[in-house]
Amino acid sequence: MKRLLIAISVATALWSAACGSGGSSVQPPPPAGKYSLASLNGQYAFVTNGEVFTSGASFPTPLARVGTFIADGKGNITGGMEDVNADGTPSNAIAITNGTYTVSADGRGAMTLNLGTSTLDFGITLTSNSDGLLIDETSNSNQASTGSGNFILQQSTPFALSEIAGTYVFDFSGSDASQPNPNPESFIGQFVVDSNTQTIPTGFFDDNVGGELNSGAMTPGTIAQDPLQTSSFSAFGRGIATIAGQNFVFYIVNSGRVRFLSTNNGMLSGDAVSQAGIPGGLTGGFVFVVGGSSANGGLTRVGRFTVSNMTLGQMLMDVNDASNEAQFNNLSNGSITSYDSTTGRAQVSFQDSGGQAYSFVFYLSSANSGVIQDISPSGTVGFARVTADGSIELQSGSPFTSANVSGTYAMNWSGLVVAGGSFPIEDEEDLLAQANVTSLTLSGAADLFQFTSATLTPRLDLGVGGAIQINGDGASDDGHRNGMTVNLTGANPINFVVYVVNPQLAFFANRDNSGTPRVVVGILKLQQ
Amino acid sequence: MKAAIRSHSGTLALLITLAFCISANAQQTEQPNAQRLHAYDLNRESFLLGTVVKFESASSTPPIGAHVILQTSSGQVDVHLGNAKVLQAGHLELNAGDNVRIVGEPLALGDSTYFAARIVQKGAQAVAVRNAKGYLLTPASTLTPDQKEALRSVR
Repeated sequence: MKRLLIAISVATALWSAACGSGGSSVQPPPPAGKYSLASLNGQYAFVTNGEVFTSGASFPTPLARVGTFIADGKGNITGGMEDVNADGTPSNAIAITNGTYTVSADGRGAMTLNLGTSTLDFGITLTSNSDGLLIDETSNSNQASTGSGNFILQQSTPFALSEIAGTYVFDFSGSDASQPNPNPESFIGQFVVDSNTQTIPTGFFDDNVGGELNSGAMTPGTIAQDPLQTSSFSAFGRGIATIAGQNFVFYIVNSGRVRFLSTNNGMLSGDAVSQAGIPGGLTGGFVFVVGGSSANGGLTRVGRFTVSNMTLGQMLMDVNDASNEAQFNNLSNGSITSYDSTTGRAQVSFQDSGGQAYSFVFYLSSANSGVIQDISPSGTVGFARVTADGSIELQSGSPFTSANVSGTYAMNWSGLVVAGGSFPIEDEEDLLAQANVTSLTLSGAADLFQFTSATLTPRLDLGVGGAIQINGDGASDDGHRNGMTVNLTGANPINFVVYVVNPQLAFFANRDNSGTPRVVVGILKLQQ
Repeated sequence: MKAAIRSHSGTLALLITLAFCISANAQQTEQPNAQRLHAYDLNRESFLLGTVVKFESASSTPPIGAHVILQTSSGQVDVHLGNAKVLQAGHLELNAGDNVRIVGEPLALGDSTYFAARIVQKGAQAVAVRNAKGYLLTPASTLTPDQKEALRSVR
């Protein structure tokens, strides 16, 4: 394919400049594992969030997509559909006519989706036969796009609107409708779907739009088949919804999960997950991760706390605020308030040794899992100083050791990196990898797409080496952090702080610039 | 409700900001400066006049992004300009010796303070790099309506 800009030699030079002279010589091992083409077989609902360069454009535009593809287990994509939203400009019900895919034994592969005259390329890593992670690696004459996301096996057809029933917790993030300068937005909450009337009669939300906080009861909403694309419901589980006055398109994964993308008033996307098993009170260690923006730039926070008898303790947090990394060890004045076992909503707050306060609101979708929004006060009532959201998970399975943090993991990170030649800039970086973790040593392969180079060309099949450092009991409830050093072919070591949820899942964020300013956050997920 | 707030977000946000600032000024005098400097506040805005000493499209000094060292009458100031592509999209090039006017305010980051630019003006040319809430703009903010419409070809 013809690239937007073609000069592999330039790309190599830019890569070297970005990652320092020399760098790691780690090479990818031969793929090993249990996966094959047959592992990807069925209809999968996918999402990505990232950026796009259209043909002839000199700068990127934020992009979110949601859709479904059908894999035949033999290397062919036989159909599908997607909806995209580029910085508030939606394009809906785009047919995926066909395509191809590969899957190596390690679960890594490539997928090409053909949409009429357009083609999209993705790197994929299976986490099971039912789900996986993917990054957008499209770089052709029509567009270059990047972004991270995942795909999940949809239920067997036929779909029915009545499957969307009961209470759901949602996390939609992106940007609002302000033009020409949209604000970052996090919109989380809980809503109830009445399957008989196909309405959303009640709901409760927390909205952070550029720091401006609003919370309360939702206006009633609806779910429906798309009258303009009625066949898309029966074929792909695709429909439309109005939630809190905003229009969305959705794809049903199953009765427990629905994937949404806004079609007006800005660009929001995310999942709604059915809510069940909310405990009467909270107890245990929780790990959280949020990503978003502050007035300084990109922001990540990853940390943990323990709840005991509704008292907050053992707080630990790492913050990367526009490449200024800070580790907070002496967090105090912790509190957990307003816990409502009906909605699963609660607020947590604590402060650092300098008196800076941090606050979050979260909604649990189960006893173990939920969504979380940063509402850290700005000093002005009703305003937060950042806009960010993410996940909160109950820790289990500790102590974490080399014995149980072991096996093959899919790894994905996404965020900002500084790279480039004579005019270095910061822009999106997405990495998707698979690594075997043995005695806490990493060995695997990765695809990396940095949207900083003039060539807009992904780097494929890089070697992955490095190690995970587990300290104390690994749960960080004793104040000890875990770390991870990742070596990529041609790059200087990249250091991360790691918070382990359980031996199957961990969140991480980069903890120092290692010569390359970076603001990224990611996950490690055990392959099943 | 959320929808109503959104439909008026452009003006309502400013009104709320102003209203809260009037009432919040008294409260904020009780708060440490560090707390106040972690969020952008239009009421604290000022401007710098100076000469560009050095421009970096991506500085190794946080916050991530473009910085300019500005020589002002009171000394050199580190100014954060955000995403250099926003300046590029606005066709604004900064070189040593350029005289500029920068609207913004000091913000704290870690143990240091820098000047966060919202509007960069060189001669008759001005480019916004932050919105009114202080969040960095992306180059997409410079798209014309026709260019936005062309995004419908994105797949």
